[in-house]
This record gives sequence, structure tokens and C-alpha cells, in this order.
Amino acid sequence: MGYDYIRPASLEQALSLAAQGESALIAGGTDLLVALHKKKRPAPGRLISIRSLPELAGIRDEGARLRIGAAVPLADLLAHPAQARLPALAKALGVMGSRQIRNVATLGGTLCNASPGADAAPPLLALGAGVELAGPAGRRTLDLAEFFRGPGRTALQPGEIMTAVLVPWPGAGTQSHFLRRSRVAMDIATVSLAACFGLTNNRLSGVRLAAGAVAPVPLRLRATETFLEGKALTDETLAEAAKLARADVAPISDLRGTAWYRRELVGVFLARALRAGNGGKP
Amino acid sequence: MKTTLHLKLNGRDAALEVAPHARLLDVLRDVAGLTGAKEGCGEGECGACTVLVDGRAVNSCLFPALEAEGRSVVTIEGLAGAQGGLSSLQQAFVQEGGAQCGFCTPGMVMSAAALLSANRDPSDDEIRDALVGNLCRCTGYAQIVASIRAAAGKAGAP
Amino acid sequence: MSNPHFVGVETARPDAADKVSGRTQYIHDLAVPGMLWGAIRFSDHAHARIKHVDTSAAEKLPGVEAVITGYNTPEVRIGFVRDNFALKRDKVRQFRDEIAAVAARDPETARAAAALVRVEYEPLPGVFSLQEALAPGAVLVHETDAKGRPRKDNLVPVRFAHHSGDLEAGKRASKHIVEGEYRVPLIQQSCMGTAGCIASFDTRGNLTLIAKTQIPFLAQKDFNRALGALGLEGRNTRVVVPALGGGFGTGLDTHAYEYIAMLLAWRTGRPVKILYNREEEFAYLSPRQSATARIRQGCDANGKLTFREIEVTQDNGAYTSWGATFPSVMLVPATSLYRVQNISFESKIVYTNNTYCQAMRGYGNPEITWPIESSMDELAELAGLDPVEMRLLNSNQPGETTPMGLKITTCGLQECLERTAAGLNWKENRGKRRNVKRGFGLAGLINVAGGGKIYRSDGSGIILKPDDYGNVNVSYGGVEMGQGLHSVLALTIADTLGVRPEQVIVNQTDTSTCPWDVGTHASRGAFMACNAAVMAARKLKARLLEWAEEIFPVEVEEALAKARKHPGFKEPDFDWRGNCRPGCFELSDGILTIKGAPAVPELQVDFARLLRAIHFRRQGGGTTFAEEAFYEPPTELPDWEKGIGNMSATYAFGAQGVEVEVDEDTGEVKILRLVAAHDVGRVLNPQTLKGQIYGGLAQGIGYALYEEVLTDKGRILNPGFTDYKLPTAVEMGFPIDVQLVQTNDPEGPFGAKGVGEPGLVPTAPAIANAVYDAVGVRIRELPITPEKVLKALQEKRRR
Repeated sequence: MGYDYIRPASLEQALSLAAQGESALIAGGTDLLVALHKKKRPAPGRLISIRSLPELAGIRDEGARLRIGAAVPLADLLAHPAQARLPALAKALGVMGSRQIRNVATLGGTLCNASPGADAAPPLLALGAGVELAGPAGRRTLDLAEFFRGPGRTALQPGEIMTAVLVPWPGAGTQSHFLRRSRVAMDIATVSLAACFGLTNNRLSGVRLAAGAVAPVPLRLRATETFLEGKALTDETLAEAAKLARADVAPISDLRGTAWYRRELVGVFLARALRAGNGGKP
Repeated sequence: MKTTLHLKLNGRDAALEVAPHARLLDVLRDVAGLTGAKEGCGEGECGACTVLVDGRAVNSCLFPALEAEGRSVVTIEGLAGAQGGLSSLQQAFVQEGGAQCGFCTPGMVMSAAALLSANRDPSDDEIRDALVGNLCRCTGYAQIVASIRAAAGKAGAP
Repeated sequence: MSNPHFVGVETARPDAADKVSGRTQYIHDLAVPGMLWGAIRFSDHAHARIKHVDTSAAEKLPGVEAVITGYNTPEVRIGFVRDNFALKRDKVRQFRDEIAAVAARDPETARAAAALVRVEYEPLPGVFSLQEALAPGAVLVHETDAKGRPRKDNLVPVRFAHHSGDLEAGKRASKHIVEGEYRVPLIQQSCMGTAGCIASFDTRGNLTLIAKTQIPFLAQKDFNRALGALGLEGRNTRVVVPALGGGFGTGLDTHAYEYIAMLLAWRTGRPVKILYNREEEFAYLSPRQSATARIRQGCDANGKLTFREIEVTQDNGAYTSWGATFPSVMLVPATSLYRVQNISFESKIVYTNNTYCQAMRGYGNPEITWPIESSMDELAELAGLDPVEMRLLNSNQPGETTPMGLKITTCGLQECLERTAAGLNWKENRGKRRNVKRGFGLAGLINVAGGGKIYRSDGSGIILKPDDYGNVNVSYGGVEMGQGLHSVLALTIADTLGVRPEQVIVNQTDTSTCPWDVGTHASRGAFMACNAAVMAARKLKARLLEWAEEIFPVEVEEALAKARKHPGFKEPDFDWRGNCRPGCFELSDGILTIKGAPAVPELQVDFARLLRAIHFRRQGGGTTFAEEAFYEPPTELPDWEKGIGNMSATYAFGAQGVEVEVDEDTGEVKILRLVAAHDVGRVLNPQTLKGQIYGGLAQGIGYALYEEVLTDKGRILNPGFTDYKLPTAVEMGFPIDVQLVQTNDPEGPFGAKGVGEPGLVPTAPAIANAVYDAVGVRIRELPITPEKVLKALQEKRRR
């Protein structure tokens, strides 16, 4: 340990500090500080705190989408009126860590940490969210599905900072559901799944599915989505979709569950999420 | 090497010399001499180190001390009423048996204080939900929940 | 005393205010001037020969005061079979073996230096399961015993067994027989306050150890022996116990880290503190044993138990703590939970290269109640009986002597079973809610409740020392761990002596000021302390009332003389002078008066005034005084190989029942409500008593559903609360109905029984029985995880 801790006043300053290397970015720090304290990653020469950068703050309705500053604490997002229109995201945020964690952990931080089980990721993926990145070469936006590259690995280039998460407002009639299994209330997910879809006359449309903790990254269940698009919501469809979803994922066995159990649960959660479309218990 | 941290600590202005990488918990305990907040895990799981930063419950073991610059920090020592008396919440923990070994208690009380300041009349489920980041191995939580319920002015059978 | 004011009344704890305000001081909060910090270098292998230890780099680190190893310190042996060493020399037998230790100016420097110690090993194959360790020709964890004699197997040299009646006749008389193998996992006590100590020496070689211990006097004995190894024979150890931050059995042994602090303090001449962080607590402190039990039991056509046969095999890990003696407690339920005559109990404790284990609350009882009470349900089903009926039919009764020789005095088992069943509307519900995947299950328990004799004395001493201000200072050698011992001591003394509870001040436990006590374990704290307290308080009261014969008239005359100066004063209409005899005095709520006297201030002498008068104003010279009492319960040290002996002065009984809902798709088990009926003898303080039951239940539920220390070839994989899950307030968010059955035990203080452990004893089998009722699968391995339930459901569907 023994690193320096710098709190730049602006994004510009932060970017120029980050460009000098030998440093790591810290927002809420709830993951990074544990890793440093337990020496699970080497201490950098300095930490650049982006927690209070004004450019990374605030939640704004931009008409077609909601713009969430990357350094917005999860608790602030959860308390924002916009959550009423994003129930799957709200549900996921509500089970992330404890209140103490949510008061400091940021939405950008949980995505940049790139844990396969990050609960916010599946609903954001299913909602078709994007991320805004600022770097020495300027700003760019990226589909969230392109952002995750592996456990702890992202598309962030050296010196780049995530500035915002962009969530398109779901279309009228779109439902969103989030399901999760963990050992106790305060726990990393064993499996999580989010589903967005429309259901008119028992027919599915605009199906977007994503799952967490069942692959090296939180991922969209593309084959299952394709299969379900336009299908009638029947027991046969659900059974087939559950089978496909189990094939769409690539879980490992770890302390929280075996690969077998995770596959089982992906199928169960998918069926429950879709049944919830007809008022079933999610 | 050391930096001066300016903050409002338990209602009073304080200036503390801290290492830049120091955790708020260590600064409170080792620099400010406030040993009420405890280190139970060092990874934000047990909540024994919970303090309020600008009124919000945080794990001081995961809070960089320098992020407290210019903020208000309240620890269990700052919760007491006038002349060192107990706050009504602390009183309720005493009356309802909310403390056993007591190691988790300062953190429990701080989480409860944050809850009650945001929600004066929480349901039992809301109380329990607000405590998921505070582990207790002695009480099974029953009398802790009863303490918070009593403090919220809704004393009932545990 | 027949009509207590305070005992039995819901009362706040005397230590609560300090705890809620953060003032209570734990080992974490303590420092001694000049103190250094110690850190330990642990093994990198589960089993290896140590070839070379190089401490030179560690010694060079600035701030390091000493680096010690087993090669440059005297040999200090640990444990009752003396198979462990403070610092290891020849080989390491588990990942946490201590090879070297550092004393430095701060904990960071100490830990950094410990990491700089270079150790060369010759790795050895290890044994990590019971099967591997018991296989013929298995690698030996210990090649020799404590006396240097070669060992031929991996069995720990202690034996606990019981054989009574005629097993074969029992089997022949059986209409139904069930058999099963049950497992319990390795779990962590998970005290919120981690382990630590401060060791310091005076210049004459006397050691003061501030220790997180439950056995201050046995620790004193252990450390005095270790002083001998340092060439300090005849020197003394003073053990001082700070606020504990949870015990749960972790303080039942002395630990290598404590001896290492002692060695570092001796080497440096300065106080040394060692404090574990959470990861170290998980990795380097002993957890609760994993074990496998095979059980077979039978009943006749009417459901009467005919025999019970149990074989337990327990993974000891690499060294032996008191936890190896769990089977001594398993004998109690194995022989005496329900009436059964033909019994066989055998146990094996097996060395492995896993982390060595130690005591935890319940001490073998949950481990064995798990198979017994699961098997009772299986037997009831086979016999076509309701599980409650089956248990009532075989229930223990007051006045019986069990095959182990346990003398059952009071027994509330039947009432506990009935009240638990009633609380769950058992008859209407059990077996009838499978359509909604809801199930009901119940299990009973027996536990020692009047001490548990495993040492030549199971007694407790106490000293009551009044002062000039009306306080009674209590010196008791047991440990307040959070359970509320000080609360019930205050109430008991207040009622027995006749003072108010706030006048009773319980001192910090310190071997230099407290009389001997065997330790706070086996649900014995309140039972022993309060029995000793009642004895001492009665003696004290008798003395006070004798002195009152002289003091009372003097004080009353003085008060009357003053009062008479006020116009309108009326002489009390009562012959107080004729009643100044011990038998006529009444001391109550801190006021001395005469029975039947009018309640006027002139005829009342405040307790403080009485004490000062005895100290300063007695004719012929005043005196200070204290009373000591030693309570030794009427029990026997059992013959362990025969499994016979009445080890406790009384026994607690109880039953717990649950309603669960099982999610058949995910295997999740949700507890909907729980009823816990406990025979507590008599309630001393309802608040602390319920606190013990609620807390026990949460540990029982953790054991049943969530907790397991996972290992891979001896390495612990989940050393922290991120990966080892305790129940949170949310998991415990179901209604709990605590039913207190008061059987008023003749040996108990005010009739009370010990209550520390029973709360977690039957929880797991009650839940497993409810899961079976809900979905028809029987889980025989704890914890009952959703994965195990789902797998069992899928297997059932395939059949």
C-alpha cells in the first residue's frame, strides 16, 4: 500500500493525470480498496479519485434516453424517480450490496469493475444501454454489450474514463423483469437474469435477455432471443427457450454454485421472467 | 507524506494528519482516538465500522479518509445526547436487549440511525433490509429489530 | 428470596449502555505503553518437512525488534495431548502451521517482515479426508506421539464409547429399523470480534496476558507450564479478560498465537500484541469439526424405541484441541434423548492435514442430534406414526436415570414437544400442505444444563465484596461473552442479598482477583455463577444481619434523635427495640428495616450506611469484609470409555419446529415461521434468556442452510464474510415464537437451568424434517443448500 491519493477537480485534470500512467482510477472504491487491502492487486503509485467530478455526476432525462453520470452512487440512482420506468434495473440496484455499499458504490464503478456477476449489468444489457467514455482521443460511446471483455476486463483504453451510462427509455408496452439467486441477502449473485419484452395477444416481441454470473462476462442470450421473437408464450415455447438459454451460457463452478446449478437456474429464471409477462410470479 | 484532512467530526471542526491512502476507519480509531467503530472484516461485509458521512451510512473500512474532506462524519461517539447521555435510539437498544457481545453494536446503531433519519416509521421488513450490511453473530437480530422498532415509536411484541 | 423482586423480570443489561455508545473495550481497542506488534509466518504447505528457515531479510527490515522460530526459542507444547507446538520445527502438518514470528513497531511492519521469512520445504503427501486418513498405509500426520513413541495410524488417542443393554436383542425386537449416514460440515464460529492478545512480562518473569479467552484459569495453568519451558518455573501468569466480542467456543483452548506473543514479549522485554484480521481468523483459528455419523435405530410395532447404534468419525485436523472431545457430549443425546435401552456408541477422531478444529457452542450436540432427530422422523414414517406422537411415546420423564447414568431431575421434554406442535397447528398442517410445497418439521433436544463435568472440578468460586458506598463488588472467574452473565449475576445477588441490581458491580475477570472457575462453556455460566452467588450472598447477608443487631439500634436512635427536633414528630408505633434480632431484620432493595415495621425513614437504615457503620463505627473496632463461596455441582466425571456418568447437575430439554416452503424449481428453502419451546428451569432475565435462544437459533439456521468452510487439500477457500455466509437480518425475518417451559429445577439457582447452547441444537433436523414433509426429499448432509435439494428432487423425479 502506501499509494498517493489525488482528487482532481475536473474531468480534464483527471484525464491528464490518468494519461501519466502508474495510477488507477477510483470512484466509490468498494471493490478496489478491498482488492488493494487484501493485496489481490498490486498497489498503484497513486489513485485518482473521480468520485466527485462534476462531469460524472447527475441523472438527466435526455428525451429518448436517461443519462446517468458514471459516478452517481447506486443509492442516488435507486432513489431517482426514473426508476419507476426501469423496474428491472431498480430491482437489481436494490439488491446490490448493503445500504452502506450503495451509498458509495457508483454505477460506472460496478460496470468498470467488470465482475461477471455485477447485478446492474443484466438489466442494463437487456435495456440496450450504452456507455460514454472519455479519453485522450476524445469521447466515444459503446454498446454495453461491447464493453465487457472478460472477468475484470473492459473495452476501456489506457487513460480512458467512463463518464456516463446511457439507458434508452423502453418503448410503450415493454416489460422488464429481473431475477436473482444469492445465498443470503448480502451476497454476490449466483445467477441473475433480466428480460425485456413486449407481449401482445400472448405474442412476444422485442425480446432482449441478459444473464449474469453464468459466463466470463454478463451477456445477452442472443440465440434464445432470436428463438423467442414473435413466438406465442406457451409451455412448449418456455421449455424450448429454457433449453436454449442453458446452452447460451458458459458458467463455471465456484464457491457460490456449480456450473450445473447455474445452468438449471438460467432456464428457471427465463421461464419465470416470461411468465411474469402474463402476471405470473417472477 | 501526510496530508491535513479537514472535516466536521461529531459536530466539531477537526483537522487530522493522515496518510493519503488511509482508510477513514483507521483515521477515526488511530488518529482521532474514536474506537467505537470496529473493524470486523475490512471488506464491507459486516458493517461493524459503519459511520455516517453527510448523514449516510458508509463502511468506514472502505472509505478513503481524504474523501471525507469538507464533509460531516458522525461516529457512535457523536450520537449520544447532551451531557453524554444516550440518544433515544441508543436507549432503545439498551431497553430491548439489542446488544449482546456488543462488537457489532456501534455499526448496527449507526445503520439504524441512518434508516430512522430517512424513514421515521419503517416496517420490520424495511428495518431488516437496512441491516443486511450489518452482521451479528449473537442476537439473531430479533432484539435488534425490536430496538429499532421501539425507537421508531412503535413498540410491539418482539 | 422466595419472592424475588428482580429475578424473572425483564431487565436491561448492566453492560448495554457502554456497548451502545462504543465505550466497551475489546482487545482491538487496547494498547499498553511500549507495546510492539507481533505477526506470524504460517506454512505454505499442508504437509512438508521444514528444511531451512532464513530470517535474515525479516530481521533487516526497519522497525523489526525480533524474529523468532522454533529453532531459536524453547519448545512450547500446546493442547491436552501435547501434540501441538507454538512454533514448528521438524515439519508442518497444516497450512496454518506457525514457523516464525516477528515483533515490530506496528502491525504493517510486523506482517511485512513475516512475509520476508524464507522457508525451504520438502513437500509430503497429505491426508485430507477421513477415508484417506483411515486407509491402510496412510501417510501419518504425526509419526510419533507426545512421548516420542512411533504411531501406527492417524487416530487421536482418546476414546469415547458406550455400550449398554443387548443390541442384538434390541434389533430382534424391532418391527422397523432405519439406517442412514449423516454429515456436518466444517464451520466457523465467526465471532464479530476477531482473536487477539497482549502479552507482557515484569522484570521477575511474571506474565500478564490480556486474552480473548473463555477459560482464564485453565489458561493460567497452561501458561504457567509454558513459563516453565522458558526456565521461569514458579513464576506466574495473570490472565485478564477484556470485553470478548463473542466466544462461541473459540476461547476454550489456549492458542499458538498467544504463546507466540508470550515468546516475543520475553525475547524483546516489551509488551507484544497479536491481533488477527478477519481473513486470518478464518485461515488460522480453529473452526468447528466436520464429522460423519452412521446411525441405525429401531422401534417395535407400537413405536417404542428398541435400540440405537451410532458410529461417529470426526475430522480432527492436524492437532488436538478440547474440540476433539466432542463425542463426550455426543454421548448425552446418543444415550439419553428419548427412552432407549440397547445402545452402541463408538467414535473415532482422526488426524488429517486439514486445519485443526476446536470447540463451538453445542460441542458435539448439534452434530449428533442431526442424525438422531432426522432418523426419528424416518422411523416414525416407517412405523406409520406421526413424528410428534412417536417422540411423545418415547419422551424422557422426570425422575428417570438414563443408560448413561444421567439423573433426570426435572424434564420438560413432553411439554416442549406439545407446545411446539400446538404452536404450528401440527395436526392440521403436517403432511397436508405438500400441494403448496409447504412442510412442517420438528426436533427435540437434551443438553447439559447444570455444568458438564469434563475436568476434575466443574466448580466456580465467587467473592462478594461490599464497599463503603452500598455497592457489592463481584469477582467471578467466568467470562461475560455477550450472553448476559453479568445481568443475571446482578439480579440473583440483588434478590438474595436484598439490594438493588445497580448496586451490584461485576468486576473484570482477572485471575489475580477472581476465585477459580473452570471456564465458561457447556451452558454452565449462569448456572454456576448464580449458584455460587446465592451461596455467597446468603453468607454475606447472615453476617450483615448479625452485625445489624449492634448497628441498627445505634443508627435508629440517632435518626430518631434528629427527627424529634422537628415539631410535630410522632414516635413510631412499633416495638423496634424488641425486634433487633437477625431473624427479625429485613434487607430489601438496599434498605435494612424490621419486618412489620411502619415504612418511616427513621426505622430504615440504608445499605451504604449499614456498611459504613460496620467499617467505622462498630464498638471495639470496625472491619472490612468480603464473602467467598465455591459451588461444586453434584456431578460425576464420566468413565469415557464406558460412557457412564452423571456429568451434569441437571439437563435442559426442548423442541423446535418450523414451517418451510420449498421452491421446487430452484431448491430454495424458505423458513416461514419457527416455534422454539425450551425447558429453561426458571427464567432469570427474560431479555437475556430470549437473546440466547434467538441467537442460538440464528446459528442453528446458519448451520442448517448456509454455512460451510470450503477447503481444497487443506487450504481454506472462503476465508471471509464475502464467501462464507452468515444469515443476515433478512434471512432471520420470519416470526419466531419462543415458549419458555419452567420446570423449576431443584439444583438450579432460583430453579434455573443453563440455556447457552440448546437454541442451536435441534434446528437443523427440524428444518430437514420440514423439507421432507414439503417435497419428500431427505437431505442428510448440512448445509441444506438449494443445490442439494434440487439435485435430490431431480433424482426423486427420475425414480
